[in-house]
Amino acid sequence: RGSVGCAGVCGLWAPRGLRRPVRPRGPLRTFLERRAGSEALCPGRAPELLAASKLLSDKERELRETERLLHDENEDLKQLAENEIALYQKQIAQLKHQIILLLVPSEEPDEGDLILEVSAGVGGQEAMLFTSEVFDMYQQYAAFKKWHFEILDYFPSEIGGLRHASASIGGLEAYKHMKFEGGVHRVQRVPKTEKQGRMHTSTMTVAILPQPTEINLVINPKDLRIDTKRASGAGGQHVNTTDSAVRIVHLPTGVFSECQQERSQLKNKEVAMKKLRAKLYSMRLEEETSKRSNSRKIQVGTRGRSEKIRTYNFPQNRVTDHRINKSLYDLETFMQGDSLLDELIQSLKDYADYESLVEVISRKD
Amino acid sequence: MKLWGQMLWGHLSGLRGRQGGIWGWACSTWQSHQPQAGPLSASGLVKHWTAVFEKRGIPEARESSEYIVAHVLGAKTFQSLRPVLWTQPLTAQQLQGIQELCNLRLQRMPVQYILGEWDFQGLTLKMAPPVFIPRPETEELIEWILEEVAQRPQAVGAQGSPLILEVGCGSGAIALSLLSQLPESQVIAVDKKEAAISLTRENAQRLRLQGRIQTILLDVTIEDSWTHLLPWGPMDLIVSNPPYVFHKDMEQLAPEIRSYEDAVALDGGEKGMDIISHILTLAPQLLKASGSIFLEVDPRHPELVSSWLQSRPDLCLGLVAVRKDFCGRPRFLHVQRFVP
Repeated sequence: RGSVGCAGVCGLWAPRGLRRPVRPRGPLRTFLERRAGSEALCPGRAPELLAASKLLSDKERELRETERLLHDENEDLKQLAENEIALYQKQIAQLKHQIILLLVPSEEPDEGDLILEVSAGVGGQEAMLFTSEVFDMYQQYAAFKKWHFEILDYFPSEIGGLRHASASIGGLEAYKHMKFEGGVHRVQRVPKTEKQGRMHTSTMTVAILPQPTEINLVINPKDLRIDTKRASGAGGQHVNTTDSAVRIVHLPTGVFSECQQERSQLKNKEVAMKKLRAKLYSMRLEEETSKRSNSRKIQVGTRGRSEKIRTYNFPQNRVTDHRINKSLYDLETFMQGDSLLDELIQSLKDYADYESLVEVISRKD
Repeated sequence: MKLWGQMLWGHLSGLRGRQGGIWGWACSTWQSHQPQAGPLSASGLVKHWTAVFEKRGIPEARESSEYIVAHVLGAKTFQSLRPVLWTQPLTAQQLQGIQELCNLRLQRMPVQYILGEWDFQGLTLKMAPPVFIPRPETEELIEWILEEVAQRPQAVGAQGSPLILEVGCGSGAIALSLLSQLPESQVIAVDKKEAAISLTRENAQRLRLQGRIQTILLDVTIEDSWTHLLPWGPMDLIVSNPPYVFHKDMEQLAPEIRSYEDAVALDGGEKGMDIISHILTLAPQLLKASGSIFLEVDPRHPELVSSWLQSRPDLCLGLVAVRKDFCGRPRFLHVQRFVP
């Protein structure tokens, strides 16, 4: 793909600059030779890693032996050798890919759903308009990836922008993809609201909260206080209200969530619960990710929340992700939330895998 | 109010030529790059009517105007309206519709009657005065019943099971939400008012549940009236949100309730126990052995019901559990028939 992450991983196998005939011993290879059998490295799948590692060595040796036949005088033998080499190269690439998958630790929430939160940042009405566009982009991306997208809250501004909204997104590897979108997104353009045609820079924030399963997070109902407008007086038949807003407070931590989106109080309660669980889960996961290196370019979770990760420059028709310094052109297509956004996310994922691998290799245990 | 009257009058009379009258004025304001929503937009109208309602002491001023404006624009809630609709000028028809509905609100009509519908347990039900409007607490009664039914293996899965009797079906909220979430269940829905029976039937048809519900005009307080229900066989469950307001509390209810909802659906007599005690009396005749009764009640009733049951050992009924609503008030009772 030519992405930065891909190049990074290739570099781990064989440091760049070294020519093929000299047998390269990249850090990953050295690491595998030492550690491939270690259970701690790859819990539950150490035998698989060891086997793949050994198979890789064998295939590479066979490749080198077959390469010698390229200098043979016999034409038929030469042809055979070329075919075999192509086959070996393919097998080697697959094995390397498999090894990487085994080594890159997957996070608990990777397979699950998430809650997307967008908030307008600096820039008044223009920031809110941009927030609305970004939210639409993700809604279309979810459709593109065949994920489920359910709006939980939606607080528009007076001129059709968006102050704050959240949505529940679910489907195959949804969190695994979306987790790189968290952070501050910047827009540079002449706002619709601008009378004198000047360029402005406004911001909006995206937060990605993984959604826990029932097992991942257990909350004791006794720890919750539920606030509704019906709290005062006798309630029930005595009162008729249409204000069905619900707030749930998690007493031990003080974390709370609200919903007033629906006419049904029960539905508002369900949504508020969903959001609360995601918030509490996020807090708990922070402990895990805090063990991760601070020097990583791609931070996930609350650490990455206030990072300026991306700039959308409309006059230059360019979107740039600052973490991997990658720019894509054709901003209008990008905002449609299909293959261009997917390409960027894939690049981010590759780079994040690379950083994970580097950490795994350089750990001194 | 004056300015509004002028605008509306100008708008309605000047509509024919698109360039004419107030419509032209509104258009030019719109195009002048002001990021404010014009007064004839959805946002502007909500703002306007909220102020009017507040001035006239109408409770839930903002919620009322939001629901009305959203409804006229085809959405359930103001927030769920597509943002672009927030700022577009409305048509004369829409403005008129909003005016009419807001006038009803000025007369303290409950919003649910104004809109003619409301949501309950994931269903949208038609609402019509004077049939009782379902309360949010009752959604939790449904949750409890569903939990209990799930724990009884024989009740789940068999056709026509569980067989449920609802006393006082009103708009059909309880009956229909149980039917929709218990696919094999059947409901006998009973009410003493024709308007309620009619509305329950209509809601059942709207939700395509009419095949599993039987609606019967019946007053359970009339002696032996319950015998009409015997042909349908012994029931697994009896459920009810019976009138449970203490009679002396009736006059303190808000005008929305007093002027529009049927007092018969609310007034439970001196201690709010009249209909409750009738239901408990007829229950043993109609329930299967170990059958259950689920009731929504006033927070003062758990004790009253407990002592009442103790005074009637002949009924072989026991108060098994009391459940709180999510405001922490004891709201729901589970009474079970036991075999002596």
